[in-house]
Amino acid sequence: MCTGSADPRRAPTRAAGCALLALLAAVATVAAADAHADLPPVRLSDLPASWRDDLGQVFDLHTMQGRAVVLTMAYATCHRVCPVTIRDLQRLQQDFDRRGLTAEFIVVGYDPDADDPAAWHQYRRTRHLTRDNWHFLVGTRADVQRIARQLGFDFWKMDEHVIHDSRIVRFDEHGTLIATYGPAGLQFTQR
Amino acid sequence: MGIKGNLRVTRARSWPCVLLVACLGHSLAAAAADPESEQIADLRKELDKSMQMIRELSQKVHDLEARAAQQPAPPAAAPGVTPATPATAQTPAAPAPAAPAPTAPAPAVPPAAVAAAAPAPPAGPTTPETASRLTQLEQTVAQMAANAWQRAEDTGMPMHGFADVGVGTHNAEFPQYQGADIAELDFFLTPRLGERTRALFELNFEVGSDGTVSVDLERAQIGYQFSDSATVWVGRFHTPYGFYNTAFHHGQWIAIALRRPRFIEFEDHGGIMPAHTVGMWVTGSERLGDMKVTYDAYLGNSQRIFDGILDMNNAGVSRGSAIVGGNLGLLPGGVLDGLKVGVDAFQTRIEDQDPTPAAFPQVSPYFTQVKSYGAYAAYDTDRWEDIAELHFFDDTDLTGHTGAHHSDAGFIQMGYRAGRYTPYGRYERGSFQQSDPYFAAQLNGNSYDREALGLRFDVDLSSALKIELAKTSFTDRIIRTWGEALIQYAIRF
Repeated sequence: MCTGSADPRRAPTRAAGCALLALLAAVATVAAADAHADLPPVRLSDLPASWRDDLGQVFDLHTMQGRAVVLTMAYATCHRVCPVTIRDLQRLQQDFDRRGLTAEFIVVGYDPDADDPAAWHQYRRTRHLTRDNWHFLVGTRADVQRIARQLGFDFWKMDEHVIHDSRIVRFDEHGTLIATYGPAGLQFTQR
Repeated sequence: MGIKGNLRVTRARSWPCVLLVACLGHSLAAAAADPESEQIADLRKELDKSMQMIRELSQKVHDLEARAAQQPAPPAAAPGVTPATPATAQTPAAPAPAAPAPTAPAPAVPPAAVAAAAPAPPAGPTTPETASRLTQLEQTVAQMAANAWQRAEDTGMPMHGFADVGVGTHNAEFPQYQGADIAELDFFLTPRLGERTRALFELNFEVGSDGTVSVDLERAQIGYQFSDSATVWVGRFHTPYGFYNTAFHHGQWIAIALRRPRFIEFEDHGGIMPAHTVGMWVTGSERLGDMKVTYDAYLGNSQRIFDGILDMNNAGVSRGSAIVGGNLGLLPGGVLDGLKVGVDAFQTRIEDQDPTPAAFPQVSPYFTQVKSYGAYAAYDTDRWEDIAELHFFDDTDLTGHTGAHHSDAGFIQMGYRAGRYTPYGRYERGSFQQSDPYFAAQLNGNSYDREALGLRFDVDLSSALKIELAKTSFTDRIIRTWGEALIQYAIRF
């Protein structure tokens, strides 16, 4: 609580302190508003539909409607963030298995210029991610940017590097986005 | 007015300030949260309403079709509604996704099913009207979705970059300094252009050898991607020799190690190779089964030596000389996934615009033809990041006074990723003939070797703390050895 100082020489400092406090409170309000906006109001059917899987086959993302879907984005030569995200996905898969639930696990490539279906196919083989409910998708640059924007995957390309965070989103069987998993382990926000 | 009076006035002045800031803050908060969320909420409501209508109409269509199916119908008049099927289910190699969980509630009618239902043939007197309304609704929803996407797209050019600060017994780049240092603030601009047009600008605020901060447009390149296997860049780019110079750039966060190998440092930080070229660069890759071949070919302004430092001649050259070079890489894939090997070469004619060193015949300016050949290997996996490079220099004094010279430089670096910790080690060595005007004219053209052990700790996904212990020895020109203990905090944003 801000109160006046008995020493008038300190009053301006006090006032500045109060102003700073108020500013911090306002910033905290903005941060809180942002936290509430963590779940984008998007449905599975709003996402770009047309992709190719790691065998080069056409993959219609909208046909996942009716199934629980866990989705993330990655790039095949990422060795810092993506391995952590993939491990989190595997933990989620184990959790689903334990609970007797099924879900489709979808990994959308950040960088269609570098990561073609063959690169993802190699990625699956070397990391033993061969379960048939896992799908590694390649799209056009426009669709990749669009799905990233829609689902809150912030990324940018620096030459062959893709700078990005770890994020996983989950849709329910109705195609509603119900949860996001953040970079700190499996903490998540849920609708 | 006494002290109390002053106090009251001060308080009276301070509270409006506080209120103003608070109001401003809340306005900012409201501005940040309200308009966007209200628009989204409105859009959401409209979409929900439309989806509800679609579901109701779909149900009506379904009922009508059920009733029509119970009545005798002409053979060709009633094809069934095809359920949506995952595309992967059509391929044996990618089996159909698993069925929904047994406990899962019944899914809503998918749009694909609605779309399939829309062109259904007339099943009763009201069906054409229903189908027409369905079509209109579909168009409305599609338009709304497109509008929402258009709004989401309009966010301007994102700004990203890197920064790092450090402390050490010596400055990592300029060993004459010690203590704390700010190294660089690197802004990376990648404006979103067309599907095939590319642009990249890198604006770097960095501390130079004189301790002052300067701004450098490190990269400014505009390109066009003809296909996956060919992109042409024009502008100032990182010269594609070896592996390190194009795999790691100005932001130290991206690299495991605390600093670049000394001989491939950037020119104004002690590098003795032309790290930047102003010209044209063609780059691409081609997949051959599991293997991938990468290539680079470039042509640009030849560099010059000015104030003892290589300069890339941003404005052009006055004597028409050029640098020309290429790089050919191979990623074998398969069991060697993560490995890249390659060779590179370049040739340039360097003009030394500084006064001729006393030990050399007094000819001005000196011209040296520099021919460099290199080979490299990098093994980059989820666990290992190992890099080795070797470069040879066959230089010829074009003034004819000192003849031909041979020099070489190389490094090997090994890093092991163990979660958030990445220990690494590096050995590097440069053996540069001091009778070669190209090296003799450069401030950092002396021979050296350096051993370093370090540890990178990823504090989070956007910042890393690095510690390095190193020993550097200058082996000619000035004989000197010193040890270093360095700490760096590097971020990206």
